[in-house]
Amino acid sequence: MALSDLLLQQTINGLSLGAMYALLALGFTLVYGILELINFSHFNVFMVGSFIGLWTLQLMGINGQAVVMTGLPLIGVMMTALVVTMVLSGGLGVLIERLSLRPLRDVKGPAPMITTIGVSYVLFNIVLLTVGADSKNYPNPLPPVQFAIGDAVLRLREILIWVIAVLLMLGLHLFVQRSRMGKAMRATAQDPEAARMMGVEVDRVIVIAFFLGSALAGAGGLIFGLYYNFTSFIIGFNAGLRAFTAAVLGGIGNVPGAMLGGVIIGLIEAMGAQFIASAWTDVIIFSILVLVLVFRPAGLLGRVAPNKS
Amino acid sequence: MLNRSITRRTAARAFAGLAVVATLGRGSARAADNAVTVGVNLSLTGADAESAKRIEYGAMMAFDEVNAKGGVNGYRIQMTPYDDGTATAGQYDPAQAATNARKMVSDKSTMAAIGPQMSGAGKAMSPILSQGDLAIITPSSTNPDITDPKYAAQYRPAGKAIYFRTVATDAFQGPYMANYYADVLHVKTVYVLDDSGAYGVGLADAFQAQSEKKGIKVLGRDRLDPKAADYTAVLTKIKSLDPEAIYYGGVLQAGVKLAKQAYDIVPKMIKGGGDGAYGPEMLSAVGYPANEGWYATIASPHVTDEAKMSGWVKSFKDKFHVDPDDYSVTAYDAATVIIAALKQVTEGGKEPTRAAVRDAIQSIKVTTLQGPVSFDANGDLEDKTISVFQIKQDKNIPADDMRQYKYIGAAPSA
Repeated sequence: MALSDLLLQQTINGLSLGAMYALLALGFTLVYGILELINFSHFNVFMVGSFIGLWTLQLMGINGQAVVMTGLPLIGVMMTALVVTMVLSGGLGVLIERLSLRPLRDVKGPAPMITTIGVSYVLFNIVLLTVGADSKNYPNPLPPVQFAIGDAVLRLREILIWVIAVLLMLGLHLFVQRSRMGKAMRATAQDPEAARMMGVEVDRVIVIAFFLGSALAGAGGLIFGLYYNFTSFIIGFNAGLRAFTAAVLGGIGNVPGAMLGGVIIGLIEAMGAQFIASAWTDVIIFSILVLVLVFRPAGLLGRVAPNKS
Repeated sequence: MLNRSITRRTAARAFAGLAVVATLGRGSARAADNAVTVGVNLSLTGADAESAKRIEYGAMMAFDEVNAKGGVNGYRIQMTPYDDGTATAGQYDPAQAATNARKMVSDKSTMAAIGPQMSGAGKAMSPILSQGDLAIITPSSTNPDITDPKYAAQYRPAGKAIYFRTVATDAFQGPYMANYYADVLHVKTVYVLDDSGAYGVGLADAFQAQSEKKGIKVLGRDRLDPKAADYTAVLTKIKSLDPEAIYYGGVLQAGVKLAKQAYDIVPKMIKGGGDGAYGPEMLSAVGYPANEGWYATIASPHVTDEAKMSGWVKSFKDKFHVDPDDYSVTAYDAATVIIAALKQVTEGGKEPTRAAVRDAIQSIKVTTLQGPVSFDANGDLEDKTISVFQIKQDKNIPADDMRQYKYIGAAPSA
């Protein structure tokens, strides 16, 4: 394999990883931007999302690697799985907000954040105890189409991941920038008190932020399953921690920053495994995080935080 | 506010009271019917839970059989399961294994133990069990350090061997597989991976050293993080180096993902591992075609297919509704050794002690399912057979049936 092909292949690998991290990072950023809360339950909403996707695909009769589809049925199945997963994951996010965070809305200090850690462990253990500890074989109805670029290989599912991720992120960006609700969200992020005085229903904004963030995490979970062909109760922590790093790297609270951070972390992971050793991946990623924070505490694109005055 | 806290405190007290009563109840029941306890420590939570169950059933079967016949010289054997897997680790957790070892040692009725499943757990348990003079027989943990006299100060500080095995070690499993790669598969270049666990690193090291001796060129060595999901980057690196084969030392948490992604990136490469790559999840979670062609070994003779075993296999299946694997057999054998040792020490109405049970295990010669079992001074099995398997899809049996691992033969010893 020539070096240029190798670089291209690792870029493809890194971008796929990055797309997943970015989808997940958006959830951290949306909630942080509005509530200044680091929502650790997000880790395992992602994990539950991958299981929802698994069950949805199985309910449609797609089990294991045996069923391969093409054309319209494939698009239909993918759309259904994506929509169901996103709606249910979003619902889970709303439920978490309603049951465990709204009662703590006016509590100062780290209590809400600790609560999200608790919720994360509850989800994690519920899945462990109900579906079991073993890795699950994830259905993969995609035909094994691939394109060779020199010695590098680009598979259909990588293209699919990028398309889904880019469309979702673009949609979110337009929603936040153009829609009325998006405007309300930006207003709440700037100054919740003033926004409330101007007639913004802050509680609704928060619910929407949780719904959107969790729906994107669910989409990330489905993509994870389709890409790696497996899921398990444990996938949340590793992916979640890296996505969180991506959010901080890009500038927490900043939507384009989360996307940029995700892609950077994904690329670092792929190139680090190629040129250093995969055992050092975490050292590299988290050292870069520390360096960025030391020299640019607000992250690469600057941080958005509620104006607490 | 005050009211509420009092209620809570009272509730806590009532609960503590209940716990004491429960403990008392259990203690007296035990004394009444002359039972001895055998602790069984496995990784029942996490990625290796499926294999753990099959091992537990193997031991359970032996003890149930002897209890049904009235026990050993009037002693009923009570099996107490311990789980060293934790949800946070997603597989065995050495810290939990150490806690379990302490629990076993402090339970006075425990005379011997079976387990652990995993070498990483064994390393944590062995020093504690040594201090407690409690013998344990492992049906599946193969890391050689634990019984190596070089590390005696670390793993058996009290001096005597307490860690026995009804399997061979990775000092044989890794090298014999290297022989197999060199002599049978004629592999010239290899890339070695491990899963950063005690077992995986040791196995990969042993394989790598023997490969080099055999003239196989090791093109690289890398370590997988079992909690990470993505190995495509390291596999792409392997693809660019283009070795003829991959050897993976590790268990299934990383193994499942490695097998799936390796099928996408380096489908034609020869791939193999140790007994960590031999397990039901390789069939159910990886699935055909990604698992096709994977080699795996086990550190014991392969007996479950033998004609003389068909009766045992059938009664195992009838009882537990799963197929036994070879580590169900080594677990049954470990239980057989413990039963024979207890029989020796309780002959003539004597009270069993841990020291006597340990000494009996050390000197025992007993015929088990895998053949005659006896131990050397370090607790290692005298017989050192490594069996090689390869996954070859057979459409006539279920895809997750362990018989999808086709037995190839014993690995060459030199």
